[in-house]
Amino acid sequence: MTAVEYYRPTLLSSCALAATAAEARYRIDGPMMSTRASRVIALDEQAAGIVQRVSELPWSPGAHFLTYESPESVAGLGDSDLDAPDLDAPGVDASGVDATLRAVGGSQSLLSDELAEADVAVMVATADSGAQGASIIGNACFMRGIMTAGLVIAEGGAADEAVSALRPHAAVLVVTRDEGDVPEMLTALRA
Amino acid sequence: MLKQEINDLLTQTGPGTPMGGLFRQYWIPALLADELPEAGSPPVRVKLLSERLIAFRDDDGQYGLIDEFCAHRGVSLWFGKNEGNGLRCAYHGWKYDVTGQCIEVPSEPEEHSFCQKVKLTGYPLVKVGDILWTHMGDPNNRPALPEWEFARVPSEQTFSSKRWQESNWMQALEGGIDSSHVSWLHSGGLKSDPLFKGAKGNQYNMADMKPFFEVVDAEGGLFIGARRNAEEGHYYWRITPWVMPSFTMVPPRGDHPMHGHFWVPIDDENCWVFTFDYHPVRALSEVEVQAMKDGFGVHNEYVPGTFRPLQNKDNDYLMDREAQKRGDSFSGIKGIAMQDASLQESMGPIVDRTKERLVSTDAGIIQARRKLRKAVEALRDQGETPPGVDPAHHHVRSAAVVLPKDEAFIESSREALAVATGVRQTSV
Repeated sequence: MTAVEYYRPTLLSSCALAATAAEARYRIDGPMMSTRASRVIALDEQAAGIVQRVSELPWSPGAHFLTYESPESVAGLGDSDLDAPDLDAPGVDASGVDATLRAVGGSQSLLSDELAEADVAVMVATADSGAQGASIIGNACFMRGIMTAGLVIAEGGAADEAVSALRPHAAVLVVTRDEGDVPEMLTALRA
Repeated sequence: MLKQEINDLLTQTGPGTPMGGLFRQYWIPALLADELPEAGSPPVRVKLLSERLIAFRDDDGQYGLIDEFCAHRGVSLWFGKNEGNGLRCAYHGWKYDVTGQCIEVPSEPEEHSFCQKVKLTGYPLVKVGDILWTHMGDPNNRPALPEWEFARVPSEQTFSSKRWQESNWMQALEGGIDSSHVSWLHSGGLKSDPLFKGAKGNQYNMADMKPFFEVVDAEGGLFIGARRNAEEGHYYWRITPWVMPSFTMVPPRGDHPMHGHFWVPIDDENCWVFTFDYHPVRALSEVEVQAMKDGFGVHNEYVPGTFRPLQNKDNDYLMDREAQKRGDSFSGIKGIAMQDASLQESMGPIVDRTKERLVSTDAGIIQARRKLRKAVEALRDQGETPPGVDPAHHHVRSAAVVLPKDEAFIESSREALAVATGVRQTSV
């Protein structure tokens, strides 16, 4: 142990001894951030059912509950490439990526519009068919510096492709069998 | 963010509380075996799950863990005399055996059966490895003994220590699950600590400070994978198992011993951190054991004669601003264990989780809380045995692997994450 000279500060609140429940009363109790603008996006139809059910819980007005529908034009890709867009391919401008989303109420919107004000995107997948949406949305969030999370609700390897597609772009991936983990994650993130 | 009532549910472990009920389903570490080294050892005061107890060994070497206080006048039995087949109260000589049964009340005639009607609460105390374990729940529902690998390998392959942490158990556990702090808080130790340095994996750690995370359900709890970039087309994965309620293992580095922790509530504002190091296939070297005793790796130095860390809140953890400036350590606090403990204690005895701002990389913590809450509710409402009680759930290891980018760590590492007797750990 290196000898380090230590002088106890004069006041209790000036040293580590202040970590008591009584001293906790003096912690500043003010708002530290505004409400998050969350985008909860289902990547396949079964996931859409989960997102629909979750949307019925009380959330802040900034939370939008959506389902990925189809890719939109991506500069450098032809229409035939859109089923499985390779956003890393030479000549592809990934910043131009876009997609059509469907809100729980049925209205449609563009991914780019939804992400304009978003600060977290939570993608929900249950099947391999979610891989295309995962790739497009994950990349769009990455390009915009938006926090991402992927929730894959599946037994065994039922959604391996979705997991692989999400992996490069979602800062965190949760693979679970319990759809109750979706509202838990959103609550924890203050969606 | 958690509602206050959920925070209370997770952090309160005393008798009659839901989380206390959950902990009482398991065998939990109570003491180091060295604390009661031989038959007739002096008794040791132990507080666990907000219950004050006394541990002792009778002259036959049997272990006992019983209510600390004599049934007669409430005197602490710590002052008692360990005598033959029991512990005798120093006040009036009442004597108790290792089960808590009163076996002598000297003031009563020998032919009276009075003492047979007096029994203190007693719990089993069993040595497995270097640890004495107890089960504080229903004796009719006592699970099989723990089968953690660190406690089952030959004694020369394992080393355990414990330290007092002045915070609730849950914020200590969350530090063990939260892999995202490692690149920051513990970055200095990778270069210099004798129990970490030299591993190739350290280079991946230092080269990529923004890991991505995957959290996967496991039978006993969770696997939390942190991935960083490795060579072209590959990721370096560090995989942490959490087994309910409070077992975590740190992913290994090179051929260094593997290590991990149990986070055990003393009461709602204090916990024991039991720390172990072991190697699955070889004896620990003298140099390694000495390093552990000297507080390197995930161990710590002590105030002599106590389990209180030498660096503690009375001395601001011996903060060294020069070391912080030089980059020897990120926080200026020496050692992995005290780097964690200093920050977790600074949160207050029970952190107010209604005020926290979690981010997506906190998903491991979010999932662990959810699983604990579900298990508490399933136990309370349906009597369901929680994950982690079954010894089969104890057969896990941490791992560090390099995998092609398109491989799921959980599928590719199933063998690496399971205990295999006589098989070396999977490490980089």
